[in-house]
Amino acid sequence: MLNIEKLQASVDDKPILNGLDLKVNAGEVHAIMGPNGSGKSTLAHILAGREGYKVSGGTASFEGEDLLALAPEERARRGLFLALQYPVELPGVNNMVFLKTALNAVRAARGKPLLDAVGFMKLVRERLGLVQMDERFLKRNVNAGFSGGEKKRNEILQMAVLEPKLAILDETDSGLDIDALRVVADGVNALRSPERAMIVVTHYQRLLDYIQPDFVHVLAGGRIVRSGDRTLALELEEKGYGWLEQEDAA
Amino acid sequence: MNTPAAESLQHYGDVLTRIQPQLTGAGQPWLAQHRREAAASLQQLGFPQRRQEAWRYTSVDRLLQHAFIPAGAGQPEIDLNAFLLPQLDAHRAVFVNGRFVAGLSSLEALPAGVTVGSLKQQIERNPIVPAKWLGQAAGAPQHAFSALNTAAIDDGLIIHVPQGQKLERLIEVLHLTTAPTDAVMSQSRNLLLLEAGAQATLVERFASPDAALYFNNNLSEIILQDDAELEHVWLQEESPAAFHLHSLFINQQARSRYRNTGFALGGTWSRTELNIDFLGAAAAAELDGLYVAGDQQLTDAHIDIRHSVPGCQSHTNYKGLLHGRGRAVFDGRIEVKANAGKTDAHLHNANLLLSRNAEVDTKPQLEIYADDVKCSHGTTVGQLDPAQLFYLRSRGIAATEARRLLCLGFAGEIIDRCGIAALRESIEAAVAARLEQAAINVEAE
Repeated sequence: MLNIEKLQASVDDKPILNGLDLKVNAGEVHAIMGPNGSGKSTLAHILAGREGYKVSGGTASFEGEDLLALAPEERARRGLFLALQYPVELPGVNNMVFLKTALNAVRAARGKPLLDAVGFMKLVRERLGLVQMDERFLKRNVNAGFSGGEKKRNEILQMAVLEPKLAILDETDSGLDIDALRVVADGVNALRSPERAMIVVTHYQRLLDYIQPDFVHVLAGGRIVRSGDRTLALELEEKGYGWLEQEDAA
Repeated sequence: MNTPAAESLQHYGDVLTRIQPQLTGAGQPWLAQHRREAAASLQQLGFPQRRQEAWRYTSVDRLLQHAFIPAGAGQPEIDLNAFLLPQLDAHRAVFVNGRFVAGLSSLEALPAGVTVGSLKQQIERNPIVPAKWLGQAAGAPQHAFSALNTAAIDDGLIIHVPQGQKLERLIEVLHLTTAPTDAVMSQSRNLLLLEAGAQATLVERFASPDAALYFNNNLSEIILQDDAELEHVWLQEESPAAFHLHSLFINQQARSRYRNTGFALGGTWSRTELNIDFLGAAAAAELDGLYVAGDQQLTDAHIDIRHSVPGCQSHTNYKGLLHGRGRAVFDGRIEVKANAGKTDAHLHNANLLLSRNAEVDTKPQLEIYADDVKCSHGTTVGQLDPAQLFYLRSRGIAATEARRLLCLGFAGEIIDRCGIAALRESIEAAVAARLEQAAINVEAE
């Protein structure tokens, strides 16, 4: 589904990714871990098409198509979704209008009929339950005045409504207390399916207790320095990132 | 050789002389005196020049290139249905080219004692209220356009709500201007008097059935006596070639409340002047406005609030969306006089520039001569936030649509201030349509 080869990227001439390789197949959940500044969020943003990054080498393809050549909205319509670490507040933009506009844009691109208000409400009511959100959230402006936990739940709600093929969760656990974390993780787990792949970017192994990955990769210095199964995350928890960096240097 | 300004003075002086015999109120010396004095001050004042502070960013050169003439007495054919808002239940007064049109108005259900309709008719039938109040709030003309309006007082809107009367149903006033052949000048003179404890809601809309060139020079005087309350919403959607000026003079007595929510969308040149005078303690004014301007458009909002008595509140919040080569001027001034303690006055202006060629000149001013007051003012000029744009696009929403949603979100704060649901939707649609025309997709790249 996603195939990244030797990806190199920089911000303001500062190299962040230095030849990153990653392959993700349908149904797989990959965790990407790494110390602060290792390039985890940069990778997530580059895949979603955020401006401000310069890709200087390598390729990234999504279902055989050159991902990096597509506008952000085209990537979303093809089934890529990024849950942001810091969801953006949109004052004056109603959450329901936002969700419906996004869903219908995605449905139109996939050749599905557009949903009217009734059809949309039916779908969104069902998905609200996944993240234990109240219908009142729909009447508010997007993320405006939301607590940290509410913002993260709103991200997962969007994911549940848009039904992406590949979801990238960027530090979805940051700023969440244990109860909020559980709600968010339950929502994500409910969306796991054989057709859907996920990349979970996280600094801490804590989230991986709730969202259990099939593969764990460690990103350091802009490359993946170690890949393994779940036990790698536990090993990191015990030994810290320093252990790998030392090994890498040796 | 004469300058354009001197030629214009000559032209409008001639026009005034020519139309005097046709104007209403023959044998009413008070009215003749108003007109005579105003005609004299037109010549004394001359047309505004850029060196005058209140006109520094707003040139009248383009307006003076045309020799506008008063519309003929003939009634143009108007399809009113094109202007009616579904679900807006209202007492309706319709003016075409500044003249009241009874046949298009529906005022039959007005409660006894309440007057809504034609100033001209009122002057002819019972001039007590106009004779007492015309010119009271406006005072001596401050510029040539108020002088021109006053020198030709003839028709316009009159609203008179007697003491204690609370009008449940709203009043809708349509000011339609059309001039298929000549460049006409329409000059509504409006007088609103809400006596002590009276309440009303007024929706004023300015529009045209065509894309005609005309000059709509309106002057409104609004008198709110003790404890009176007026909610005033206006929507300016003049023709794309139109010049529009609306000077409002609001006198507020003790504990009166005035809410003005305005939307300036149309015209090639438009200016709204809101003059609030607090004359009685503990009165309050809330002024909210949105202006949208693109290619070939200059929009100007002038706000002048004078706190002359203690304990009054004024809250002003104006927002602007500028696209293409659109230009806007915001000039907001709050004056707190020495005896106006416990004043609570805030003024804010925020602008979103959607293209490199759009321009705004914004000038908030605060002059405080009293102690123990709470006052603030601020102004911002910015562009759409790339992080917000990315967020929307990352959810599959096209860049154009993302910009539209953000612009409407920005405007939404003001649109939501309009308390009339049926009107709010049509305002939102009107703003959205302007943004669509604006091709904001190209400009913002």
